[in-house]
Amino acid sequence: MATLSRQQAEEILYEEARILDSRRYDEWFAMLTEDVIYWVPCNGEGTDPDREISLVYDDHARLRDRLDRLNSGLAHAQNPPSKTCRLVSNVQVEQTSTDSAAVTSAFILYELRQTRQRIFAGRYQHRFRYQDGRWKIQWKKTLLVNNDEVIDNLTFIV
Amino acid sequence: MPLQLDFGALVEDQRVHRRIYTDAEVFEAEMERIFERTWVFVGHESEVAASGDYKTVSIGTQPAIMTRDEDGGIHVLMNRCMHRGATICQEQRGNSSFFRCWYHGWTYTNRGELVGVPYPGGYGRGFERRKFSLKRAKVGVYRGLVFASLNPEVPEITEHLARARYYIDLFMDLSPEGEVDARSGTHKYGYDGNWKFQMENGVDGYHPNFVHQSFFEIQGKKLGRKVMKLFTEASSYQSKDLGNGHSILDMAPQRKSHRPVNNILRGSTSDASTKIYIERLVRRYGEERTSEILGASNVNLAVFPNLLIIGIQFRNVIPINVNRTDVYLTPTTLKGVPDEINTARLRAHEAFYGSAGGGAPDDVEMFNRCTTGLRVKGAEWLELSRGIEREHTADDGSIAAHISDELPQRAFYRQWRRMMCEKFAEASESRPQSVAALD
Ligand code: FES
Ligand SMILES: [Fe+2]
Repeated sequence: MATLSRQQAEEILYEEARILDSRRYDEWFAMLTEDVIYWVPCNGEGTDPDREISLVYDDHARLRDRLDRLNSGLAHAQNPPSKTCRLVSNVQVEQTSTDSAAVTSAFILYELRQTRQRIFAGRYQHRFRYQDGRWKIQWKKTLLVNNDEVIDNLTFIV
Repeated sequence: MPLQLDFGALVEDQRVHRRIYTDAEVFEAEMERIFERTWVFVGHESEVAASGDYKTVSIGTQPAIMTRDEDGGIHVLMNRCMHRGATICQEQRGNSSFFRCWYHGWTYTNRGELVGVPYPGGYGRGFERRKFSLKRAKVGVYRGLVFASLNPEVPEITEHLARARYYIDLFMDLSPEGEVDARSGTHKYGYDGNWKFQMENGVDGYHPNFVHQSFFEIQGKKLGRKVMKLFTEASSYQSKDLGNGHSILDMAPQRKSHRPVNNILRGSTSDASTKIYIERLVRRYGEERTSEILGASNVNLAVFPNLLIIGIQFRNVIPINVNRTDVYLTPTTLKGVPDEINTARLRAHEAFYGSAGGGAPDDVEMFNRCTTGLRVKGAEWLELSRGIEREHTADDGSIAAHISDELPQRAFYRQWRRMMCEKFAEASESRPQSVAALD
């Protein structure tokens, strides 16, 4: 068993981006550990989710609810759905051992819904855990550049 | 100048004309006759807790700054330099005793007085600094809610709030100290449509089972309850007209178990902190009032024209133009409760609200659909007659109907029509003779 190399990290992040862009939410869910936290802070960096509101602060169960709702066909804000294309870059492995790793990256996300196009950008922070023979996402924080501004609809997974 | 629209004719007792949502002339008149005439919600005291704290706000489309001075007073100052008009404050929030306009350096205190004019020798002897204080709004505070008014003749804030005060009291009394804190951040979203869609929707008990079916079904399965029953004909929940355009969806009557947070939204807390919380409430308010407070812990309250109090949040509806609205949701935490209770409140709020929530974005989607649909000409009216025949006087003297009735919308538009048609003297100062003569 080896530590997580940058190339491996890139492969996982690219795969995640492709799965999310094609809205294969169940496949994405399978990439996560059961103690996962998926966090999209609001109003800045996100320091203490227990004391401040986030755009998303989901554990495994809440995330399952979120994805079930998106899959239900009755999530009106995603009917029709957002079409997205995200580029992930500037990947850096910040810490790694044989069973855990912390990786940061930058992203630009293009979104089209109906006739409206939007661009989001920001940083991803991932923590991975080596489990069942592969690296799984145990913690993901998406820091949107515009998270302290008005965002009309953020019901797809960023 | 084209003939002015007859605003009164656009709003009838049971229906409203599509032009109230689509016409820029209506929007301009709303800003003057409603947003410049009545009390407009701008924030909560705790957002400017310390002396020198400030926060930029809006009164209708006009930029302003809510400040806390060194003596603890709250001011709402217009964010407009009295020299040549630049905004003097660019930050969303901060702390400062002075505001300097960086165009030519004029400097004001957080009370609005002009205290610094660079190179004053250039001004004549008739120039008096005190004539150039920032323009200010009147401030009204009720239970920590800060309202501003540009109308010096506006009635007292307590009079304006009418029966809404009773429900605001209940909301604040959820804290064993009688105070909430609004410093956990703000969800900000918006839509390309008219501001009134959001005001109508915040107290619309007819839509949840359709717009939020996906959310309710998933939550209902977890809780083993039929959440959607609460909004069917079988529900004993009520809608109420609270006077002056304010209204509520009153969900107290049917509530059986009193929980400290809205369980539908999955805010779960341990038995230990729930027990501590309820003990503190009982100590402060007694058994009877405590059960009344907890019974009302899930409100949808509309305060005319721009405030909604829903769940744990203050919702500020900010009109940008006839076809654009921003909405700021500020969740509150309770003073004097175990931390766990407040964290649960935040998580419960997040599950449904905000740009990424499981509920509110679906409401916004409907505002967008209405905006597109209302481009159709020939179908001119929107129907608001639901439940008009089952309106009755409730125990507290207010007019009430079933939760799914359009009573709150009718209450809103009665006030809208009253204000839009009211004769009022043009403020002579803001309208110089020469300009008035031009149009
Ligand atoms: S506009 Fe403010 S100093 Fe000139
Ligand atoms: Fe809704």
